[in-house]
Amino acid sequence: MLVVGGGPAGLAAAYRLATRHRTVGGEPPVVAVLEKSREPGAHMLSGAVLDPSALADLMPDWQSRGAPVAVPVTEDRIYFLTERRRIPFPITPPPLRNHGNYVISLNRLVRWLAEQVEAAGVDLFAGFAGAELLYEGDRVVGVRTGDRGVDREGNRKAAFEPGVDIRARVTVLADGVRGNLTKTLVERFGLDDGRLPQVYAVGIKELWEVPSGRLPAGAVIHTMGYPLPHEQFGGGFLYALPDGALSVGFVAGLDYRDPGFDPHTAFQRFKRHPLVADLLAGGEMVRYGAKALPEGGWHAVPRCHVDGALIVGDAAGFLNSMRLKGIHLAMQSGMAAADAALEAVRANDASAERLAQYAALVESGPIRRELHPVRNVHQAFAGGLLPGLLYSGLSLVTGGWWIRDPMPAHAGHTRLRRVAGGEPAAAAVPVDRRLTFDKLTNVHYSGTRHDEDQPSHLLVQDTDICRTRCREEYGNPCTRFCPAAVYEMVDAEAGGQRLQINASNCVHCKTCDIMDPYQIIDWVPPEGGGGPRYEGM
Amino acid sequence: MPMPSSARPPVLVIAEQRAGSLNPVTWETVAAAQVIGGPISVALAGAGLAGAATELASADVSEVLVVEDPALERYTPDGFIAALAQVIERERPGLVLFPHTYQTRDYAPALASRLGRVLIPDCVGATARDGGLVLLRPMFQGKFVAEVAPAGDGPHCVSFQIGAWRADAAARGGAAATRAVPVTIDAAAIRQRPEEPFQEAKQAVDLTQAERIVAVGRGIKGQEHLPLAQELARSLGAELAASRPICDSGWLPMDRQIGSSGQTVSPKLYVALGISGAIQHLVGMKGARTIVAVNKDADAPIFEVADYGIVGDLFEVVPALVAALGE
Amino acid sequence: MKIAVCIKQVVTRDWPVRIDESAAWVRDGDASFEMNEPDAYALEEGLRLKERHGGEVVVCSAGPARVAQVIREALARGADRAIHVESEDLATADAGVVAEALASAVREESFDLVLTGLQSDDQGFGETGVILAERLGLPHATIIMEIAADGDGAGRIRVKRELEGGWFQWITLPTPALLTIQSGINQLRYATLRGIMAAKRKDVRTVPFASPPPSAWNIVALRVPVKDKQTRFVDGPPEAAAAELVRLLRDEARAL
Ligand SMILES: Cc1cc2nc3c(=O)[nH]c(=O)nc-3n(C[C@H](O)[C@H](O)[C@H](O)COP(=O)(O)OP(=O)(O)OC[C@H]3O[C@@H](n4cnc5c(N)ncnc54)[C@H](O)[C@@H]3O)c2cc1C
Ligand SMILES: Cc1cc2nc3c(=O)[nH]c(=O)nc-3n(C[C@H](O)[C@H](O)[C@H](O)COP(=O)(O)OP(=O)(O)OC[C@H]3O[C@@H](n4cnc5c(N)ncnc54)[C@H](O)[C@@H]3O)c2cc1C
Ligand code: SF4
Repeated sequence: MLVVGGGPAGLAAAYRLATRHRTVGGEPPVVAVLEKSREPGAHMLSGAVLDPSALADLMPDWQSRGAPVAVPVTEDRIYFLTERRRIPFPITPPPLRNHGNYVISLNRLVRWLAEQVEAAGVDLFAGFAGAELLYEGDRVVGVRTGDRGVDREGNRKAAFEPGVDIRARVTVLADGVRGNLTKTLVERFGLDDGRLPQVYAVGIKELWEVPSGRLPAGAVIHTMGYPLPHEQFGGGFLYALPDGALSVGFVAGLDYRDPGFDPHTAFQRFKRHPLVADLLAGGEMVRYGAKALPEGGWHAVPRCHVDGALIVGDAAGFLNSMRLKGIHLAMQSGMAAADAALEAVRANDASAERLAQYAALVESGPIRRELHPVRNVHQAFAGGLLPGLLYSGLSLVTGGWWIRDPMPAHAGHTRLRRVAGGEPAAAAVPVDRRLTFDKLTNVHYSGTRHDEDQPSHLLVQDTDICRTRCREEYGNPCTRFCPAAVYEMVDAEAGGQRLQINASNCVHCKTCDIMDPYQIIDWVPPEGGGGPRYEGM
Repeated sequence: MPMPSSARPPVLVIAEQRAGSLNPVTWETVAAAQVIGGPISVALAGAGLAGAATELASADVSEVLVVEDPALERYTPDGFIAALAQVIERERPGLVLFPHTYQTRDYAPALASRLGRVLIPDCVGATARDGGLVLLRPMFQGKFVAEVAPAGDGPHCVSFQIGAWRADAAARGGAAATRAVPVTIDAAAIRQRPEEPFQEAKQAVDLTQAERIVAVGRGIKGQEHLPLAQELARSLGAELAASRPICDSGWLPMDRQIGSSGQTVSPKLYVALGISGAIQHLVGMKGARTIVAVNKDADAPIFEVADYGIVGDLFEVVPALVAALGE
Repeated sequence: MKIAVCIKQVVTRDWPVRIDESAAWVRDGDASFEMNEPDAYALEEGLRLKERHGGEVVVCSAGPARVAQVIREALARGADRAIHVESEDLATADAGVVAEALASAVREESFDLVLTGLQSDDQGFGETGVILAERLGLPHATIIMEIAADGDGAGRIRVKRELEGGWFQWITLPTPALLTIQSGINQLRYATLRGIMAAKRKDVRTVPFASPPPSAWNIVALRVPVKDKQTRFVDGPPEAAAAELVRLLRDEARAL
């Protein structure tokens, strides 16, 4: 059994696979996990407020094993922001109540989970990316890892190490939001036929250390409104950890219309709002990162089982966008997939029909219970968002702190508005490198690192479009939506401009793969071990 | 800042020579000793040392100790450790100072260890604190400076980074006494058999060793303009380096890249031409002793680390610099 | 050939480390760590010698429990077994203490060759290997750029040392010996899946560091270097500005 992706979904699946025999008997299967980050957990970026229910299902004794889940949510606030002011919600609507939840660092939790998984006998290979799926006919039979030691022209360097074919009876794809393997699988089999298109958001986050007394550990604040216009979807969050550590983040829907919009700039603006600026004053930004999240909900989840493979977690889209929570659902789906996979392997039948049991488990279990009731939540919103309404209709408020227009029936990138020639005016935000930062300075704090002498892992099929059509039609939005300044339009020697890809800046957020209006950017994994090194995020 | 006289133990400076000629960095260490204060002797070990000893005797120090032995003709760690351990045990200094050369790195740690001490290596400064000596040394690749207080009894052994003190600041006081210090060395016990040193063009430039660096950034516009920077480098006796976009475009090889994914350098002089000063570049060069920036944008962050700045067009400033250097 | 390679775990090279509350060390509780770069080259050199002459490569690391990370990595790359001298205090120890810890591990076995990196990225002493040689009574050579292939691997070894300013020198010394290895001496290999699997079964002997010697010094403070000079802008037309800059560089900065 092979799991690709060592996030909460993949590790829950691996742990379940390795320990299930303790309850149901039989021989333990051989389980391996591939994770592209150098160290387990290093590519984890989340809020995060954890609903511990899934962890308790996976590992009832998680507390005595010392899971780094220690700070219960103590207070819950929601504000609607205008440029200078904040309007508190008088009460916290039930779906947003975080009683019984914990404020955590996901990459610490995942690092700990990785230790548990290894102790259970799983082979965890960190620093190895799944580059492509292996097929026999239409059956997935495993994964090929990426080559290592290839120079930027594609030649083999002295230390060249070819990718390895890892064959497995069942491959569990836990490659996260817009996973590169899941993407090819969904395309090949049309797994999303008849489903709503997946829509995404990108979360940009900094970890701060602020002077004591600003917010008690366990305080959770969500905001909506400023700096986004009404029709745009997104919001801010502030989660307080112990010792003055504060997670500050901003989530922006990747279905915005204005091609001049820059999520990083919006995040800087958010920090300049008095609510946030006062909390951060005198503090220090210590980490930065970004990551997309799927939030199309129940109707956007593709078929998640094929011959020989299952899709779990964010890769499948199991995220409750009303609660901005996906960790527990990722784990639940990992466990369900593990149970289905184990039975299939024991029955010596890993066909799609047999693996459909995974879908049945999802249908009958906690995932559907949570996601189905909110599947149509957009119907509650007849029109746009008016701050005044927030006080009146609680039914509206149950929509959550981040409020989206009616669920679009089109993929987010198709909503981008064309600009008539040239670059749209993207208002800059002052950068003081204390409260606000430019992208490059921020990226330094993601710890991202790639061997520079390797082929670009951002494949742009046709860069002519960039300097011609895209420049005209959208003003090269990639130079703005990428939170790591990977894309630049620079003067070409031959006159005009050309696309410059600074691939080694990449923080693996997947925004470009999602939001590129021509869908010609393909994010493929760089040499294993490359990417951000998140800690405490 | 000299320390109170009551706390000034005798200082022994270990001079360095090759083939009888004095390595000028020795003067930097003499300057350090003079600032720290105390009676200073300078020890010179080797063979055929008359000339170098005379040169050293012009320093404002009390004594030059000449440690002559045929077994020391060619440097070996075993030979130098044996000889200098005897000198230090006999002279009983409170402080032994070395220039932090490759040779010092090769033997001084073992020498200190033989004396039951640990060399405090690669220091960049010294100050007096509470009557004792506190040494400054870079840590974490120059990100921090540590203040280090030697513990236990002397002799404390310290080496100073090249360039930390100014050789021309060493006071020359006239005629220090020269004294031969006899040592016994068993030549057969020297285990290293060195061959003749030779020079070799390195396969890769080692920018970390360069004294001066001229670095170009995207302000240079095109590969065809690189000769401009090359000319300035030549006039300064500097190596050419670059920011990432330049190496990324293949205008210069990747081993010339300065910054977080390139080299970390600390030359005496770093001239940044048309480099904006992104943090990833700064971390690779802000340890340079003197930084010059030429940039047409007065707000470019490179000026935050520069000692000297010219706000202007590099295509005008660089030729003028070359001309000025030619005079 | 029985080879010991000493490896250190250090804070990742461009990690934004910060000073801790004691103001005498960095906050490494939340840092990312990696194998010290020159040590990785030393390990690679050890593995190549073993491939050439046969024998065994044993990695030794002195440090707190967390150094298990780099030990595992070394085993995955091909080292045969490991010795971990474990003590939390070793994280901040001076070179004398660390060398003594390593000596306690290496002394009991008779290695033909002990390899260390040239220096560490964190404290940057560049002397642990040399002190270790002295404590073990071994001859040593530093800043090694090449180990000659012609030696028989036993009895003597011929190595190329880097001197300053583009000079080099070959040195022959008897084994057992200690060499400190310069980065870039070879091409590092990648850990393979097979190597990682195999590493799990390899022997890691953890020994306590029973009697550490006293520290040779105390770090009384750690601070961010302050720039004492303000940027001096040289104005005027290019020719005048250039002439003035050259004068300043020559007379004030003495950088020419
Ligand atoms: C800003 C933000 C805030 C959030 N806040 C919360 C919150 O407060 N509470 C909550 O419950 N959830 C929150 N979420 C959502 C939550 O983080 C995700 O739902 C959860 O992490 C999904 O887990 P996963 O295992 O499916 O995917 P991931 O966590 O993305 O893990 C996927 C793993 O697979 C690896 N991988 C990907 N491709 C490959 C490949 N080809 N080869 C090898 N490895 C690969 C990745 O490196 C990664 O480690 C938030 C998300 C974001 C972005
Ligand atoms: C993970 C990561 C690693 C990185 N590693 C490195 C690294 O190792 N090294 C590195 O350098 N960068 C690195 N970078 C890139 C870094 O962030 C910057 O993008 C890069 O340093 C910018 O190079 P530059 O200053 O040459 O170009 P720019 O930022 O484009 O600056 C050009 C400058 O030239 C000036 N200029 C233009 N014309 C003229 C003229 N005629 N006369 C005078 N001035 C002029 C402009 O005012 C501008 O300030 C890294 C980035 C990341 C994210
Ligand atoms: S290149 Fe794409 S995946 Fe990488 S940081 Fe930019 S938007 Fe995210």
